[in-house]
Amino acid sequence: MSVRVNPMFIDDLDRFGAEDVQLCYQCGDCSTVCPHADEVYKFPRKSMRLLQMGLEQKLETTLEPWLCYYCGQCSEQCPREADPGETMMSLRRWLISRYDFTGIARQFFKSRITEIIAIISIALLTGAFLLFYGLSGGNIHIYDGDGAFLPSPFIHKFDLSVGGILAVFLVLNAIRMWYFVMIKGTTFAVPWWLYITEIYQLPWHFLTQKRYSECERKREHKFYMPWIIHLGLMLGYVTMLVLVMVFIEQLQAGPEIRWQVHIFGYLATIGLITGTVYFIRSRFKKHYIQYKKSHGTDWVFVVLLFIIVLTGIAQHIFHRTGLYEWANITYVIHLMSVVPWLLRMPFSKWSHLIYRPLAMYLAAIRRDALVRQVTIINSNPVVVK
Amino acid sequence: MRTGVFFCQTDDNRNLNIDAIAKYSANLPEVETVQILRLKPLPEINFICHQIKTNNLERVVIAGDIPGYYKPVFTRAMALAGGNADEIRLASFQEHGARGENAMDRAKAIVACATMGVPFPLAAVPGGNPVNHATLIIGAGIAGIQSALEIANAGKQVFLVEQTGTIGGHMAMFDKTFPTLDCAACILTPKMVSVGQHEMIRLLTKSKVVAVSGKPGSYRVKIKQSARYVDVKSCIACNLCTEVCPVKVKSEFDAGISMRKAIYIPFPQAVPNAYLVDEKSCTYILSEGKKCGVCMKKCPKECINLNETDHTIDIEVGNIILATGYELLDVSKIEQYKYGIFPNVLTSIEFERLTNASGTTGGRIVTKTKRFNKKTEKDEWIFSPEGIPPRSVALIHCVGSRNKKYNPYCSRVCCMYSLKFAHLIKEKVPNVTVYEFYIDMRAFGKGYEEFAERIKQEGTFIVRGHSASVEMKDDQMVVRGEDIFNDKLVEFKVDMVVLAVGLIPSPGTEELSRMLGIQRDTDGWFSELDYNGSPTDTDKGGIYVAGMCQAPKDIPDTVAQAAAVAAGVLGSLTSGKGLGHMSSLTLSEIEAKAKTIHTI
Repeated sequence: MSVRVNPMFIDDLDRFGAEDVQLCYQCGDCSTVCPHADEVYKFPRKSMRLLQMGLEQKLETTLEPWLCYYCGQCSEQCPREADPGETMMSLRRWLISRYDFTGIARQFFKSRITEIIAIISIALLTGAFLLFYGLSGGNIHIYDGDGAFLPSPFIHKFDLSVGGILAVFLVLNAIRMWYFVMIKGTTFAVPWWLYITEIYQLPWHFLTQKRYSECERKREHKFYMPWIIHLGLMLGYVTMLVLVMVFIEQLQAGPEIRWQVHIFGYLATIGLITGTVYFIRSRFKKHYIQYKKSHGTDWVFVVLLFIIVLTGIAQHIFHRTGLYEWANITYVIHLMSVVPWLLRMPFSKWSHLIYRPLAMYLAAIRRDALVRQVTIINSNPVVVK
Repeated sequence: MRTGVFFCQTDDNRNLNIDAIAKYSANLPEVETVQILRLKPLPEINFICHQIKTNNLERVVIAGDIPGYYKPVFTRAMALAGGNADEIRLASFQEHGARGENAMDRAKAIVACATMGVPFPLAAVPGGNPVNHATLIIGAGIAGIQSALEIANAGKQVFLVEQTGTIGGHMAMFDKTFPTLDCAACILTPKMVSVGQHEMIRLLTKSKVVAVSGKPGSYRVKIKQSARYVDVKSCIACNLCTEVCPVKVKSEFDAGISMRKAIYIPFPQAVPNAYLVDEKSCTYILSEGKKCGVCMKKCPKECINLNETDHTIDIEVGNIILATGYELLDVSKIEQYKYGIFPNVLTSIEFERLTNASGTTGGRIVTKTKRFNKKTEKDEWIFSPEGIPPRSVALIHCVGSRNKKYNPYCSRVCCMYSLKFAHLIKEKVPNVTVYEFYIDMRAFGKGYEEFAERIKQEGTFIVRGHSASVEMKDDQMVVRGEDIFNDKLVEFKVDMVVLAVGLIPSPGTEELSRMLGIQRDTDGWFSELDYNGSPTDTDKGGIYVAGMCQAPKDIPDTVAQAAAVAAGVLGSLTSGKGLGHMSSLTLSEIEAKAKTIHTI
């Protein structure tokens, strides 16, 4: 099989954040300290090497970037300050852009201005559409029920259509990921039943992020607990997504919100607000090595999410206190940030919500298949004479 | 010759006003174009090529702090433009010392010399000072000894100043030399003895240079000689004083792996072969004469005087040779190797003393044994000749070297001495496994590559990959690393770890550089005048550098450099004319001198 080398690949990846790859002199310190590197998946050194050699096609079939959770030990230890942790992060950004067949993700990662223009134009379009709808048939003094400015059945349909677009993109991208990794990148036989026996990996890693917890270690700083905060943020996010997509009519309904919806709503809000504040603060303070360099998309990610949470809370307060005009106005602003956020998902960092557990699942399958292969070879010695 | 000057200054501008230098260089003869590029990343080859073509340049001068960094680009551009790539001249502000008060004039002179194609030191160093015939050598390691012998054998007076109680330096501590596996002491001790007996060499041990004044050719030097407390002439080295001395401290000569008394001789072949007293640990001296003093009573020759005081010596010399050497980086600050936490993690110099036949175990390679110390009531780990030999040893290269956090430079000797260690361990311990973790094998000298091949064939496991951690698993030391050639993560159980620790300038280097006004490079080593052309001179007239204090180097290179220094010194003594300080000429004088130098 011929391998194509792209000598400009390293320069290309510069735009995704990996600036110091060329400094690496292949000592292997990073792979040694990495808590996740093992016999089958050895990184970050190997990924750095592939990158230096410009083996773009080989890198796009690897899962290693997804197995790294960026604890930063490799970058701390690196004698050349080549920043392997940041390189793995950049490779994840690059992989997202590779899985995305539209090429939009690539534009977003490479140009912050394009991304911001896209977000603002979608926000304005959404705002205009909602205002037009509300003003044409609704009353700004009514929040829900008859004659409401933005009635909940309408919002429900609106949400589902946005969610549908999102789902189509995500599923297509995930299939591309599977194709790259399991078809293009796997040279050994993978029995089909492994896909079934390892299926538990998907919900397990999605809900616990167990491997991230293995990354945490003692630090000088007492607030270092990214795993639990990240988990809270993710669970809060998913809960809120389910509430909005499925239970929006109950969420928006008059003063009598069902207690289950209430409790989940508040828990999700706590998770979201803690997470966004923690990560924004970390990116400002730069105490830990993984927050020292922030790519433009990282900022858009946390800041946009923070705006969504704030407007959501404000809307809730106005609604409960009976200030329905204000509640409607904040609702429009809220949706103006939610829609671009949701539509941006498949093309941005957010998609790691899907790719990470999928990568764990595929990694486990590949590992089992490889072990099986080695066992077969070992049990059938080649008879020469 | 049509010349173009390109300023490629990086961030460190110091006091230099690049615009003013550029204006000055625009008025130089034959300069066609002057451009300030202010580049951090590399310039575009096509742009430079275009500039050379449009201005029809025959010579290009790259000016800046590190112009060598940009040279490859300019060379390619010159070749593309069809010019002569040899006519790329560098005007390095950093290398030629454009700093301090007259930095601007110096920088201008550097650019002027480069546009004329004249090596800067050739035009900028004045000559012709009368020279005093005595020479001072600071540091009596192998470099100082070699220089001293060369000069003294030519019949000239040498003052050899050494800070410790004996000459010999680090080489006296070594067991074998690479790649020939000769015994280091067999090479060094005859030289030491002839230094001790030479009528033209005045040996000043336990001494330190405290002040230097005067001008090139006649330096007045004040030397402080600390009290030795033992009369060198009458001491017969009978060892009776050491037997009675109650104080025990760690031996510096044994790199801290064995104990010595407060009155001691560093090693049996020490020169001068006389005992000395460590004033920092002697009970009598610390109590100001109230306690102890048994050695004075015991001495049969009555040569111990614990009330002796320091005194200073004033000498006048023509030339000064710096041979102050190196020391090891403090490896305990590189936490991942657990030096100081695990007993059997050793530095290279400790291992060198362990394997030395005159060392504490008599040359047996053993692991440390636990012993209960009655005084401190704590367990301590010591080397004893009855210790258990290691079953496996890991040697880790590049500890603190080639590492941006500690030493960015290569310490040059570690690869070779680690290979030597592998051989010594294999030779002395039966059935031992040796793992060698390296990043790049730098076997650079004559016979070195063959030596490395030989060690590989002896059955040492050479792992291409740096080990990043030493850990303890169930009372067993474990070294983890990545074997890059075999594509494996490895974990070896080892009983001993030897760290090839990086080298740094010896602690007195900074003080000495301030006293003499010698520049040091970014890594702290003394700067030579010109790396290729005059690697032994400094920018101060009559002051030379030899050995490790200029940059890490092995023993053959050190001896060669020391002899080269002696040639320079003797040259100035026989001609009666020495070089002056490089900074003593003004800009116009340098320009005028550069015009008289003919270049091909």
